[in-house]
Amino acid sequence: MTTTEPEKTNNPIDAPTNGSEHSGQARLPSVSILDATRASFSNLFKKHRWLLWIFLSIAGVFLLTITEFFAVPETMDLTSSGTWRVALAYSVPIMMAGLGGLFAERAGVVNIGLEGMMILGTWFGAWGSNTDLFITQLPDWFNGPWSGLFFGVIGGGLGGLLHALATVTFGIDHIVSGVAINLMAFGTTRYLSSKTFATKPLEGGGLTKSPSLDKFQELDIPLLSGILESIEKLKWFFISDFARILHGLTTKLSWATVLAYAFVPFVVWLLWRTSFGLRLRSCGEHPVAADSLGVNVYKYKYYAVTISGMCAGFAGAFLAIHLTAGAGYSEGQTNGRGFIGLATLIFGNWKPVGTALGAVLFGFADVVQLRDVNAIHALLLLVSILLFAFTLIALIRYASTGFSNRKYLIQVIGTLIGAATIFVWYMTTKTVPTGFPQAIPHMSVLAVLIFGATRLRAPAAVGMQYRRGHEN
Amino acid sequence: MKSIFKKKNLLLLGATFASIALVAAACNHNDSSVSSETTARTASGPGPKVGLVFDIGGRGDQSFNDSAAAGVERAKSELSATVSEVSPNAAGDNREELLRLQAENQDIIIGVGFLFGPDIEKVAIDTPEKKFAIVDGGPNDTSPSNLAHLLFAEHEGSYLVGVAAGLKTKTNKVGFIGGVNISLIQKFEAGFVAGVKSVNANAEVEVRYITEPPDFDGFNDPARAKVISHAMYESGIDIIYHAAGGSGAGLFADAKEFSEEMETKVWAIGVDSDQYNTVSDDLKPYILTSMLKRVDSAVFGIIQDVDNNNFIGGTTPLVYSLATDGVGYSTSGGFVDDIVDQLEKAKQDIINGTIQVPSSPTP
Repeated sequence: MTTTEPEKTNNPIDAPTNGSEHSGQARLPSVSILDATRASFSNLFKKHRWLLWIFLSIAGVFLLTITEFFAVPETMDLTSSGTWRVALAYSVPIMMAGLGGLFAERAGVVNIGLEGMMILGTWFGAWGSNTDLFITQLPDWFNGPWSGLFFGVIGGGLGGLLHALATVTFGIDHIVSGVAINLMAFGTTRYLSSKTFATKPLEGGGLTKSPSLDKFQELDIPLLSGILESIEKLKWFFISDFARILHGLTTKLSWATVLAYAFVPFVVWLLWRTSFGLRLRSCGEHPVAADSLGVNVYKYKYYAVTISGMCAGFAGAFLAIHLTAGAGYSEGQTNGRGFIGLATLIFGNWKPVGTALGAVLFGFADVVQLRDVNAIHALLLLVSILLFAFTLIALIRYASTGFSNRKYLIQVIGTLIGAATIFVWYMTTKTVPTGFPQAIPHMSVLAVLIFGATRLRAPAAVGMQYRRGHEN
Repeated sequence: MKSIFKKKNLLLLGATFASIALVAAACNHNDSSVSSETTARTASGPGPKVGLVFDIGGRGDQSFNDSAAAGVERAKSELSATVSEVSPNAAGDNREELLRLQAENQDIIIGVGFLFGPDIEKVAIDTPEKKFAIVDGGPNDTSPSNLAHLLFAEHEGSYLVGVAAGLKTKTNKVGFIGGVNISLIQKFEAGFVAGVKSVNANAEVEVRYITEPPDFDGFNDPARAKVISHAMYESGIDIIYHAAGGSGAGLFADAKEFSEEMETKVWAIGVDSDQYNTVSDDLKPYILTSMLKRVDSAVFGIIQDVDNNNFIGGTTPLVYSLATDGVGYSTSGGFVDDIVDQLEKAKQDIINGTIQVPSSPTP
C-alpha cells in the first residue's frame, strides 16, 4: 500500500510557495504588488470556487477569440454556435464512459470493459427504442428514445454486473475480465441482432444494424436564445463570440444531454457528500480498513461496478439514439470511445468535474477537426499562446522568489521552448499532418501524465484483488 | 481459509473438463468446424464448390456483403453451385484462418473486401491447386496465377451520380464524405467531382474524409459522419454523396433531421447498393440516387468463369465498368427521372470513350 501525499496537491489553485512567503524583504516593490494581487486572487477563488470557473471560462473563450482573430488560414469554427452545440452532445458518451470508469476505479476495480458495456448499451438502446417490432405485448411506453435509454442502461448494467461477478466474487484479474467483456459484447450483440434486427429487413434492420429510431426531444431556452442571437449580430470582438458559444450551448439541447451533464454534480454529491460515497471510495483506498469499520466491501464494489456499467450503457445508448440522428445501432460504432473515456478519467485525476472537462475537451477537438480542417491548425496557435501564458506565470513566480528558485527558471525555459516550437510549426505549415487530430486525446493524456504526474493520484487500492480476511 | 483455494481449484478443474467436453462436442460435428463467432451455411449441388468469406459486418449489411451474397445466390440457382459462407469476427483478425478453412473444402474461395489482400495472397500461394478471388483488391507483381482480382470502375459510377448532383443542386454547393482517405475511396471522390463539374462548372464540391489510414473506423462511425454532414448542410451544401460504408447511416438520418429542422430539402446519395431500398421508410424521400457497384455480377462472373474453365488470375485484374454494367446508378424513388436523359448520355459517352473519367483526385 502506497502512502499518499495530503490533499493539498490536488488543489487546482496554487498554494503560495514557501519562497514567496518569506523573501518579502529582498524584493522589488513592483514584484510585491504582483505577488499581492496573486495572493488576493488566490484567496478570492478559494472562498468562491464558482468565481474561478467563471474566470477560467472567460479566459478560455478569450483565448479562442484571439486565436481565431490571428489564425491563418482563416477559420470561424472555433467559436461558432454550431461547433459548440454539436460538441456538447458529442462529448456525452465519452463523459459518461469516463464517469463509469470513475465509479469502478473509486471502488478499486479497473474497468477496461467499458467499451464492451458501451456496445451492449448501443444494442439495447436501439432494441429498446423499437420494442414493438419484437415484442408486441409490452405497453406503449416501452417505445421511443427514453425506453431505449432505459434498456441501454440496463444492458450496460448487466455487463457491469458480470464484471463485478468476475472480479469481486471470483477474484479474476480486472484487466482479463474487462478484455473478455469487450470481446463478449461483440459476439453477444451479433447473436442478438441475428435473432432480432436481421428479421426486420423491411424496417431497415440487418445483422449489423438496427432499424432507425426516434430521437430525444429538444429544448430551447426561449428568452435567452433571442437575446444571445441579437448580441451575436452586433459582431463585437469577444462579446459576440462569447454570445455565439453560449447560444450554441443553450439551443436545441436534447433532454438526455441535459440529464448527462446534470449527472456530473450529482456524482460529486453522491461520492463526496454522502456516507454511501465515503464507503464506496474507502473500498478503493483501503478495503481492509473499510472492512474493519464494518463496510461490506463486496457489496459496495458490486454497487460501484454495476453503476459503472450503467453509465457506459447510457453512453452507448446515447451514441446510438441521439448522436446518429436516429440511425440507430450499427456494429462497431463505439470505435474506442470507452477507452477514450478511461483516458478522460486519468486526465481528470479521478474526479468527476475533471473527467467531464476532459471529455468536453476531447469531444470538442474531434468535432472541430471533423467540421473544419483549418480550425485544428489554428488550435496549434492556441496551444502556443497557452504555453506562453504559462511562461509568464512561471516568470512571475520566478520573480517573486527574487530570481533565486531554479525550479521556476526551468519552468520558464521549458514552456518558452515549447511555445516557440509550436509557434514555428504553426507559422511554417498550413495544415496539420493527417491523423494528428485523432491523436489529440492520447497526446493530451500523455502531456497530463508528464507534467501533472506529481498531482495525479489514483485510488490507492485500484486493480488489487480483495479477499475478505486476507491482508493484501 | 485454505478451503477457498480448494474450492477455486475445484472450479478450475470443472472449467477445464467443461471446455474439453465442448471441444470434443465441436469435433464430433462433421461439417466445417467453425467457431461460435462465425456462421457457416452450406447448400449442396453438383456445380462448383464456392467458399465465400465476408468482410467485417458480414451478411446482412444491406450493402457490400449482401451484394456479394446475391451473387452466390445466383450461382446457386443458375450453376447449381455449392456455397459455404463465413463471416470474420468483429476485429477481423481471423481472416487468414477462415480462408484456409474454406480452401480445404472448396474449389473457388472468394474474399469480399480489400482488407483480405495480404491474407488471400498468402493462402493462394500455399494452396496452388485451388482458385481464389478477391473483391476490390488490386494485383501486384507477385500475385499468384490462381488469384483473380475483381475491380470496379467506381469513378465511372461516381461520375454519373456527380452529374445528378450537379444538375439537382439549388445552392451550387455539394459535398462528398469519404470513409477513410485511401486510394480506393479517392476514386469515388475523383469521379464524383468530375461529374459535378461537367454539368455545373460553378458548383463547389467540399470533400471530407472521416478518418485517415491506418485508422479504418471511418467506415463504421455514423456519429462522426453526422457531425460532418451537419456542418456541410449548415454551410449551404444541399446534396452529399458518401462513400463511407456503415457511416452513411448517419448521413441519411441527418438529411432528414436537417430538412425537418430548417424546413428545407437536402439530399443524400447512397453507395454500393441501392440504398433507397435498405433504409427505413421515413428516410427514403431523402435519397436522391445511389452509385451501384455490382459486386453480385462480379462474384457470379468469377464463379461462372471457374465453371467454364475460363478463370484468369495473376497480375491482370478483371475490371467491372459501366460498359459491362459493373457500376451504375439507381433510379428508385423517381427523384432523378427528370434528368435521366442526361445521365444516360453521360453513360454512353463514358462507354464510347468520349469522356475520360479521372480515377484519382486532382490536387
